[in-house]
Amino acid sequence: MPVRAWRFKSSHPHSRLGFSRFLREYWGGLESLDRGTTCTSHETTTESVDALVFRVAVAVLAISLPAWILLSLLVVLGRWRYERTRHERASTALGSRVAERLVRRVSGNPRTEWGRWRRVAALSRLERARHPAVPRLVRRVLADADPRVATAAIRMLGDIGNEWAIDLLITAMRSGKGQRSRVAAELERLAPAPGPKLVPLLYDWSPAVRFWGATLLERYSDLAESDLIMLTWDSDPNVRAAAVETLGSRRGAAVETATLARLDDSEWFVRVHAARAVGHVCGAAAASSITRLLSDTRWWVRTAAKDALRGLGTEAVPSLLAVLVHEDQFARNGAAEVLQDVGFVDFLALDDPASSLLERIYAAGGERYREAVEARVDRAPEMGVRAA
Amino acid sequence: MTALHVVVLICLVYLLFTTAVYVMLTVIGAVESLVRRQESSSEDYETLAASRFTIPVSVLVPAYNEERVIAATTRSMLELDYPEHEVIVVNDGSSDGTLAALVEAFDLEPYQAFVRRVFPHNEARALYRCAEYPNLVVVDKVNGGKADALNAALNVARYRYVCCVDADTWFDREALLKGMRLAVQDPARVIGVTSHLTTARKPEQAMAMPHGRRRVDLHPLMAYQHLDFLRAFFNNRTAWSRGNYMLCSPGAFAIWRRDVLEEVGGYSRQFTCEDIELTFRVHEKYLREGRDYAIVCLTDNVATTEGPDTVVKLVSQRERWQRVIDETVWHYRRMWFNRKYKSVGLVGTPFYLLTEVLAPAFELLGLVALGGAIALGLFQPVTFAVMVAAIAFVNAALTASAIYFEDMQSRSYRKRDLAVLLLYTPLDFVVYRPIILWSRLKGSWGFLRGDKSWHKFERNVRAA
Repeated sequence: MPVRAWRFKSSHPHSRLGFSRFLREYWGGLESLDRGTTCTSHETTTESVDALVFRVAVAVLAISLPAWILLSLLVVLGRWRYERTRHERASTALGSRVAERLVRRVSGNPRTEWGRWRRVAALSRLERARHPAVPRLVRRVLADADPRVATAAIRMLGDIGNEWAIDLLITAMRSGKGQRSRVAAELERLAPAPGPKLVPLLYDWSPAVRFWGATLLERYSDLAESDLIMLTWDSDPNVRAAAVETLGSRRGAAVETATLARLDDSEWFVRVHAARAVGHVCGAAAASSITRLLSDTRWWVRTAAKDALRGLGTEAVPSLLAVLVHEDQFARNGAAEVLQDVGFVDFLALDDPASSLLERIYAAGGERYREAVEARVDRAPEMGVRAA
Repeated sequence: MTALHVVVLICLVYLLFTTAVYVMLTVIGAVESLVRRQESSSEDYETLAASRFTIPVSVLVPAYNEERVIAATTRSMLELDYPEHEVIVVNDGSSDGTLAALVEAFDLEPYQAFVRRVFPHNEARALYRCAEYPNLVVVDKVNGGKADALNAALNVARYRYVCCVDADTWFDREALLKGMRLAVQDPARVIGVTSHLTTARKPEQAMAMPHGRRRVDLHPLMAYQHLDFLRAFFNNRTAWSRGNYMLCSPGAFAIWRRDVLEEVGGYSRQFTCEDIELTFRVHEKYLREGRDYAIVCLTDNVATTEGPDTVVKLVSQRERWQRVIDETVWHYRRMWFNRKYKSVGLVGTPFYLLTEVLAPAFELLGLVALGGAIALGLFQPVTFAVMVAAIAFVNAALTASAIYFEDMQSRSYRKRDLAVLLLYTPLDFVVYRPIILWSRLKGSWGFLRGDKSWHKFERNVRAA
């Protein structure tokens, strides 16, 4: 190594030294500076501070430069390795030694978070390869104390999707291992297979399980109707809300009675679900019951009532017109908004712009409402030309 | 020992201390990145995207003078791969043709919806809806600033989670799914989520390419901003997220639970910029009340935002960022070193104080003292040169680690571009940092003068 090439040209006190010797002197401490007996104390201080800063800088450089080189190599080599092994990793086939290693990894009891996730990754590879040990191993991961890791096992059960996987998912739903909404998403993905197995969930002691049981039954219109009607009287409001929402996809007199009864529930979010469900179940016949909710004390109930009335289309108009003179401003505004959204106001404005009914609607909606209607009506001929 | 020596030694101690803090944060961030990567790779996004149990989100887009990009970015938000979301664009009294561009692109028609006024904002002039996209709402309102526009959007939002974004940002189709993944797992605890994003002159071009073939904008100024973003996320924010003192949900992509925003009164219009202040406020309230919560930062690259392509524009942007940091950290000074605020009080706010608020002063002081010391012959130029080299390579090593973790997470960019970025890293300290130092000094001075202006930078030029 030609150290002479590194000689300094500056006026630094050590500039005439070879670089390696120069460093050695600094690393050796400040004693080399103290050797100069003719220095004043100020000069000594100056040189020692300079030397200290220099030593620190060299030390930092000695660590950071190789670190930068190493990390840069890691980036390049990491990417190169990824691209080289991408197809290999995507392949489902596993060699026996690799499979053994992965089984060992999943069977272990990792203590760190990183170790637990490596276990999930290993199980995932085994699952893709349809390894026979997966049913045993997935139970171990499902029992992990970290709910996120358990949720990863739930995802795998959804991918497996056979009878024992469904049973395990339902067990997980009951026990609360992992995230219940994720269990529900996987069970719904596997519909219609889990159907009858969901009914017992309606009788679980845990309200959370009853909630998810009632929610999941929405896809099965011929299952557990009377059980769901019974749950609309459950002590837990979340369960009542789920039951009434699921009943919203069904028909029949008993369902109508059950959903209508929940429009007066003491919990606002049950009324939200009931408003939407009644719209579906009873149709226009329930319009007057739903319009009543336009003056509910809770904002989200009024919003749900508007949604339900929109869903009824022009059939809701007679009930809405009755609300235009309601004492509650929110109710009047809501009625005007729905009349706009179902197209009634625009029709009226085009057909009979001078009608007193239109003025009543404008009065309920306010000045901005009138302006919006007029702007839309002005655009109407233009849109007609475009359509033509 | 002269005063100059003392100043130099203080700056040296500061430098070593902050370097040690950054290295420590990088190590913690590395652990978090590795865990998140494993977690994300075991996720099944298809099921999430198809499930009705995935929580709906309202995407809020405040727009001021975004005529050139608004139609395209709005479309990219409408086409996000998510089971149920609405997009609420607020034209915040733009003086250009932002509203006209939206009306034309989406054939909007005016309508009236009656909404609660939970969050304060300036008068809304009109609402618009679209027949093709029923989940699009446009609010036209009197100008009041970004916070004001976000409050207006919050009043219209219907869903439990809101995602506040910038109008000049292009998103990955899976951005919301990735962002909401953790919120869906634990909606009772996770009240805020943000994720990693990058910058480019023309983000639409960067995002048009599939992962693995994306190009980094290698214009030096853009490349250094790209590296700056990487460092911010992978060397800092992932670590903050792990320690639950995530103090900045950036305005370009911040998911919040709506009821949390209601509790804290929405975005504040008293600050230059809204994002950091809101995050501080949420932490302050939740910790004061002793509630269990989490604000997390994911490591997925979800979006590319438009970055300034000239030094003048960059200085204007970063000066504002510095001002808002100063304003916020000063406003919440009761949290500094306060045990009541747990990791936020003991780690997060002191970190901000030390590395963001006081950094420009220390950096300037160090430069002046070293310059003076060399001029007076108290320091040798070679010492200065070695010191600069040392800082440059510390900086480069930290940046290289950020590139490594970003690539490990997303595998988005071409190998060639990664190599070029790595070569850029040692020069960052001498090429890019002086610009940032100047911006921060200007920002700090602006803060001291009480400047609250926005200084929005001009959009980059695009072909017609």
